[in-house]
This record gives sequence, C-alpha cells and structure tokens, in this order.
Amino acid sequence: MSEVAQELDARGLNCPLPILRAKKSISNLASGEVLRITATDPGSVKDFESFCKQTGNALLSSIEDNGAFVFDIQKS
Amino acid sequence: MAKRLKAAERKASILAVAKVLFADKGYHGVSVDEIAKRLGVSPAILYQHFLSKEALYEEVLSENSAKRESYIEAILSEPTDFVSVLKRMTKIYVESISGDPDFLRMELMSALEGSQTATSFFERRWRSITDYIEYSLNELKSDHVIICSSPKMAGLMYQGMLREILYTKYITEDYRYKDIPLKTMIDELVKMFVRAIGKDTK
Repeated sequence: MSEVAQELDARGLNCPLPILRAKKSISNLASGEVLRITATDPGSVKDFESFCKQTGNALLSSIEDNGAFVFDIQKS
Repeated sequence: MAKRLKAAERKASILAVAKVLFADKGYHGVSVDEIAKRLGVSPAILYQHFLSKEALYEEVLSENSAKRESYIEAILSEPTDFVSVLKRMTKIYVESISGDPDFLRMELMSALEGSQTATSFFERRWRSITDYIEYSLNELKSDHVIICSSPKMAGLMYQGMLREILYTKYITEDYRYKDIPLKTMIDELVKMFVRAIGKDTK
C-alpha cells in the first residue's frame, strides 16, 4: 500500500468544492504519490469516482468511516 | 419479473403525477385522494407504494436528488479561471432547471410552506453555486485580484439574480422579458456580476 503524501480535509464542503480542492492538491504531488481526502458530502462518493475516471488518477480506496467518506487517490 | 416491472411502472407514474400536483399547489394544497383521482386509481393503491403523503413528497424530491447536477465537468474543463468555471456551472444548473421546471415551482411553494425537508433539499442544490462563489472569491480576495468586500453576500446575490431569471422564464413568463433569450440573460448576468465584484479593477 502506498503511503499517503498529503491529506485534505474537505469535511463540511459541498460539491464541487471537494473536487476543486482535490484537483489543486493533486497538482502539487509527484506521480505515484497519494492524496487522502476526507469529505462529508454523500455525493462525493460518485464525484470522486468520476473525477478519477476523467483525470486518469487511480482511486485506491473509497470507504465510509463514521459518517465521513475517505478517498485515497494516487496521482498518475 | 413482469409483475415487478409493473409495480415499478406504477410507482413511477405516481411520482410523475404527484410532482406536477405538488408543483402547482404545494404540499398542503394536494391530498392523496386528489393524486389517486388524477391517476384513476384508489388511494389504497397509493398507500401500497408510499406510507404517507409526506413519504411520497420526499420521494419526489429524492428522485430529483439522484439526478443531481454534476459539476465535475465544469471544474475539470479548461479554462479554469473563476469566471469560466462559474459560467459552466451556471449553464449546467440552468439546463437542469430547463429540463424540469416543476422543481422550480416546488421550491417556491416550499419556501412559503416552510417544509423543512424541501427547504434543505433546495438549499443544498443552490449551495453548490453559492459555496463555489464564496470560496473562490475569498481566494481571489486574499490574492488581491478583486475588491469584493463580502464573498458570502456575493454568492447570495448571484443566486438571487439567477433565480429571478429562471422565475421570469419558467414561472411568471413576464412579457417584458419575453424577447430576451435565456442565454442572453445569463450572459448579461455574469457580466454584471463580474463587474460588481470588481474583477477588472485591479
């Protein structure tokens, strides 16, 4: 499992802000590095799936943890 | 299998008829009997699918929620400056409303009726746009790109202006603006908004 290089707290943010902030954070990462995002918007599950599909980054995991959604995304 | 499909079809037709009636008369203005009558079935049939009128109303809303606007395209496309993204997000929202103006009526009705479920549903829908404006303007403000004093208010004002355009086109159908195409109105709104936040002044 790749180590998490950066974490992004997107709790309380509505679509599309978690995506916007994730996009910015990922742009600062090197290829292969992992960004972990924590969000509370239930729509973010679908949003991050589409985000990864469209950007070519890998969605390593998408889990629900105590009302929050945690996504690990590896930069392509 | 055939029977299950039939039940699903029945449910869909109840939702479709209920949506139109709720949009025209509001939650309190419509009875289960009226919905059943419009469908040509007995109220008992409706209660087979929905426990109560409230449950039916919530399902009408959540059905729309499942078709929620996706702004990913708007965020990922180029160019990525604030105004371009806002234009794309607005276009997505307007297209979604144009495809189903009944929800605009339901929003208006629920604001007057004070239904908590509906109010929070519509608030969430608008928040995508207002939160984006507030967040981005705060960023631009700290970079001294704009002179807007209240990004939060800017979001609210934009929502108000956009909603007024949609009401004018889809609810009141005001004759004074009949000749101005929707797209022209939206373009004009964005132009005025950008000037108002002082985007070009620094």
